[in-house]
Amino acid sequence: MGAKIIINKAGFHLFYLAAVIFLSGCHAYMLDDAQHDLRSSFISGNYQESSKLLQEFEHKEIYKSKDAVLKNLEAGLIHHFAGNFDSSSVFFDNAETLIDDAYTKSISRGFKAMLVNDNTLVYDGEPYEDIYLNAFKSLNYVHQNNWEGALVETRRMAFKMEQLDIRLKGLAEAFAREDTTGKVDWHSGKTNIQNSAFSHYLAAILYAKTGKPDDSRIEFEKLAIALREQEKINKRSPAKITDLEKIRNPHSYNVLITAFSGQAPIKKQEDFRLWLNGENDNSFYVKFSLPKIDLYKSRVQNIRIVTDSLQKSDLELIEEMDVVSAEVYKAKIPIIYTRSLLRATIKATGSSYLASSVRDKNKGIGLLVDVLGILGQESSEKADLRGWQTMPGKAWMNVINLPTGINEIEIQYLSASGSILYSEKRTIEITEQTKLGLIESIYSY
Amino acid sequence: MKYAILSTLLFGLLISGCRPTNKVNRINPSETTDLSGRWNDTDARMVSEEMISDALTKPWLNQHNRQHQQSPVVIVGNVRNESMEHIDTEVITKEMERAFVNSGSVNVVASSDERQDIRQERLEQQEFASLETMKEMAQELGADFMLIGNISSVVDETPDRRTLAVFYTVNLELVNVETNQKVWIGNKKIKKLIERRNYRG
Repeated sequence: MGAKIIINKAGFHLFYLAAVIFLSGCHAYMLDDAQHDLRSSFISGNYQESSKLLQEFEHKEIYKSKDAVLKNLEAGLIHHFAGNFDSSSVFFDNAETLIDDAYTKSISRGFKAMLVNDNTLVYDGEPYEDIYLNAFKSLNYVHQNNWEGALVETRRMAFKMEQLDIRLKGLAEAFAREDTTGKVDWHSGKTNIQNSAFSHYLAAILYAKTGKPDDSRIEFEKLAIALREQEKINKRSPAKITDLEKIRNPHSYNVLITAFSGQAPIKKQEDFRLWLNGENDNSFYVKFSLPKIDLYKSRVQNIRIVTDSLQKSDLELIEEMDVVSAEVYKAKIPIIYTRSLLRATIKATGSSYLASSVRDKNKGIGLLVDVLGILGQESSEKADLRGWQTMPGKAWMNVINLPTGINEIEIQYLSASGSILYSEKRTIEITEQTKLGLIESIYSY
Repeated sequence: MKYAILSTLLFGLLISGCRPTNKVNRINPSETTDLSGRWNDTDARMVSEEMISDALTKPWLNQHNRQHQQSPVVIVGNVRNESMEHIDTEVITKEMERAFVNSGSVNVVASSDERQDIRQERLEQQEFASLETMKEMAQELGADFMLIGNISSVVDETPDRRTLAVFYTVNLELVNVETNQKVWIGNKKIKKLIERRNYRG
């Protein structure tokens, strides 16, 4: 009778746990779909529609409070390209604060969070997301002629880049401290980048334009270092520093043109299923899901601008944000993999132990517990595929000098063969007082 | 049944405990409120107070009064924010302007941003105001000194980002508009150690 009660209780708890795990897993898949829809909407260029879609997802609680970082990142960029720079900065501010809070929190939970599926945790933002939100915030300030504000953001970006290695090591150390098994080697990978060419390029221009040639020179030197670093990881040749000398002479240009192509890297899930032999001829099932990051292959190979006086010039590829993101993510992979493997093993051995204890009392129910254990692992093991969907892939920049009056600029996105994939026209009014106008464009394919 | 009642009570307590409530208290503006650790009103006040007392007691003021037999005229220029935070430097410069004007020993003229509107108003008065009330053109008070400066910061943090040290340094300078001579340099340093608590769960 006693055994029957134990089995019933165990069965009930297992069923309850499986239901909860199944439902939480279900939500993660809904969020994956929502992320996909949002990315598709954004790349079509209809920012009002994207904004509505994001609100709808929030209303339906697909983006929950634990996903607030994501929601703010997406809203920040949608508003940026919709021209609502104030709103954009507010969303990015929120995202930055939430990332800060969540990082401090996640590092403190360390090993205790091991049993929970990563999707159920508060999303604390990828380090590259934390860096690139400042890039768009700085552009918001340039649009608003607040150069001091823009420089604050470039400084924050540079600081975060420099701290990247230390931060990832800190995360690994926190897990190692909390891990009492002592069987796992917690470490982070190494990043080959510590500088953002984007931040230094923008800062060099802003310092030059605000009459600080020395600071501009220092930023220009850092830009050269950043480009050298990126050359090691880039898929394409980045800009040559000698071609960028112009930015140090503030009188030689009055307009900065920034264009973005491609898309953020795509996180995908890879599943691994194993039958392992345990003690007493018991074999147990282990499933673990790992996230991997794939780069989006943009068709854009070059970006050209044509002024209304038919003056043509190419934009320089300043930063392959997608490649940098993948590189930064690579350094976090050892931590993610160790966590996933350890979690999957704990779950598998736990359910195997429970099943074998029940099997001793009743073979049939033991088999049922075994099956439930497998189902539980199948539904609960899910890689965390959350990420900033609207982030562009590559940043192209150049400066030009335009005459006073209304100027029309055509931005042409070119394929490898030189054919125009997409083009758009922008107008800008240049007055005697214009020190630095900003034209921004995006083509996400 | 007993469990059901207990669960309901516990659930009720949790719900009532989770209900968001806003509580607002008016407090003394001079009270220190360090919430996030970022630059705040207390820092701005500390800087302004020290800078004002320093600027008004240093020899440049008496020297100018002796040489010219009149109070100096000061214009507020640009105080650059070179830190890693968005700091409204006007909070400091406005405090300094107020202290200068109220001291009666320093005259302050409108800054370049402020005077655009005033000049436009004066221009329009030439056309629309009565002769008795119309203000004359070219009667502006030329500044003797310009107040300029910068705020910069150095940030250092532990790998877990729980402890953060921020060092701010604020430099303000009074520069003679005619000779470029710097007659006063004020400096205020603030160092903060921020311990971030795990306050959200």
